[in-house]
Amino acid sequence: MACINPVPQLYRSVIEDVIEGVRDLFAEEGIEDQVLKDLKQLWETKVLQSKATEDFFRNSVHSPLFTLQFPHGLQQTLQSSTASLVIPAGRTLPTFTTTELGTSNSSANFNFPGYPIPVPAGVTLQTASGHLYKVNLPIVVTQTPGRTNILQHPIQQVFQQLGQAPVIQTSVPRLNPCFLQAATAKSQRMETVLQQPTVLYPGMIDQKHLEHATGDILVPPGNEHKITSEALLSQPEGPQYVSFPGVVFPSQVSQTNSTIEPMLSASASMIQNLHGRPLSTDSQNSNSQRDLNIQVADEDDDVNEIIQIDGTGDTSYNDEIGSAKDIDENEFLGTVDSGVLKVLEEEADSISNEDSTVNCSDNEDPQVDIVEEDPLNSGDDVSEQDVPDLFDTDNVIVCQYDKIHRSKNKWKFYLKDGIMCFGGRDYVFAKAIGDAEW
Amino acid sequence: MDADSDVALDILITNVVCVFRTRCHLNLRKIALEGANVIYKRDVGKVLMKLRKPRITATIWSSGKIICTGATSEEEAKFGARRLARCLQKLGFQVIFTDYKVVNVLAVCNMPFEIRLPEFTKNNRPHASYEPELHPAVCYRIKSLRATLQIFSTGSITVTGPNVKAVATAVEQIYPFVFESRKEIL
Repeated sequence: MACINPVPQLYRSVIEDVIEGVRDLFAEEGIEDQVLKDLKQLWETKVLQSKATEDFFRNSVHSPLFTLQFPHGLQQTLQSSTASLVIPAGRTLPTFTTTELGTSNSSANFNFPGYPIPVPAGVTLQTASGHLYKVNLPIVVTQTPGRTNILQHPIQQVFQQLGQAPVIQTSVPRLNPCFLQAATAKSQRMETVLQQPTVLYPGMIDQKHLEHATGDILVPPGNEHKITSEALLSQPEGPQYVSFPGVVFPSQVSQTNSTIEPMLSASASMIQNLHGRPLSTDSQNSNSQRDLNIQVADEDDDVNEIIQIDGTGDTSYNDEIGSAKDIDENEFLGTVDSGVLKVLEEEADSISNEDSTVNCSDNEDPQVDIVEEDPLNSGDDVSEQDVPDLFDTDNVIVCQYDKIHRSKNKWKFYLKDGIMCFGGRDYVFAKAIGDAEW
Repeated sequence: MDADSDVALDILITNVVCVFRTRCHLNLRKIALEGANVIYKRDVGKVLMKLRKPRITATIWSSGKIICTGATSEEEAKFGARRLARCLQKLGFQVIFTDYKVVNVLAVCNMPFEIRLPEFTKNNRPHASYEPELHPAVCYRIKSLRATLQIFSTGSITVTGPNVKAVATAVEQIYPFVFESRKEIL
């Protein structure tokens, strides 16, 4: 597998260029810079979450980044908090070691190494999307790389089952390559107040996982506060930025307890501060002086189905724009000269509305000399294409052409500077040569 | 040197060209964008639409005139032309299928013998014209049928005429003359 993937970087550079280019324009128009930032944010998240680039990330070795802020005196807490680990039913979380915490109020950016991170109480985590989660309860945040996890209703159901009234942010369910699972460590009174149930960018997980997870939620015996919610955050950003794809933190208490009553929660606010130090954060890791051992929990059975959130599934636009990404790319390609060629392999439909008007062929003509030999019956003898386009694909190439050549039914394509959307994934090329038979 | 008037020769129709009108202006750009299997030749102002079922290629002009080529029989040509008109109708144009006419039929025929072209030309002076430096075949025109035959020394004959009947008649007519100037194998 090629390590270097040009596509996401290219898209990022496109985004950067465009944003910079319009910055002045926006300022002239009197639009706040925040709007531009939001636009950029939105764009990036969509691009990164869309299927086009998602796979590339998953295969890469990048690890997401998140930032933790630590209040004073956290060290002790951390030590004790992670003493015992609750093993969720049916899933084993390997043990992890406690770590020394850094200085107080330090904020550190971490590459999310892909193994569970025990997060002590009092930590605020903030996702790049701006959601803050304050961890009052020591939790363990694990990253589960799952397949396109979109958490939609299942999570809502979870919450409702739990009885709480979550504020589920359903801004846009996003595809996220992985979501984090935080398991709280027990042994203490869990006084977590999960203030903000946070199903933000939910990753989609299996129903069974959910149920499974709800089963994991245990009530610490003798504890008044019952909390557990799975907050699934999906951090839409890609590895280079900050990504904390999803956070689920059920608070789990006793491991052996099979009779579990998933209790509610109120809110956990985990605040992740992910101020993007973009790109690699290895240096920051070293700064943090903290060393968290984390483990990866695999979510194998997770969702195989990829739900597209852009393109036809896009909810950001009301009008019928195609993929926002494509449009952006088109703008970027910019040149709408005669050399731009769009090769579509799909049938042009949408003419059905015209059929009604044209259904009756004109048998009689006001002019006398025009005699139609046989009226074109709408399908009687002259049937429609009995082999209408067999394939109705969404594989699209948007490019420019050097030469298109045809001999009888043999076609040769000499293309350049294009983007292919193939099987949902995007590929970029500077030159492409193709042969086809019609 | 009597030749049979009824010769069992296989005449293969390779191409039938027909035209028809749609009696309405056609927006070529719309056809090019929305139609399936179309080639837009913007420089000359026409759209080529290819059909698979009867393998035909149609040249569409914005005036509404359509030339349909590639069919292998007259019926097929008509069928294809109607299909095409139906296609255009589906794209939204008020198409009327009028003035359908087969313009040209191209057929090939193979003689079981070779032909001596210079001799043939001499014997068929007014109708045959032979310029070997320009083209290796004798061009024989039958005015009455409005048919043209190209006779090659190998015995292969290409006939073009206004319809299939004329083509068949032309082959029949030419056979005795060609038979005269055949190359006998010893």
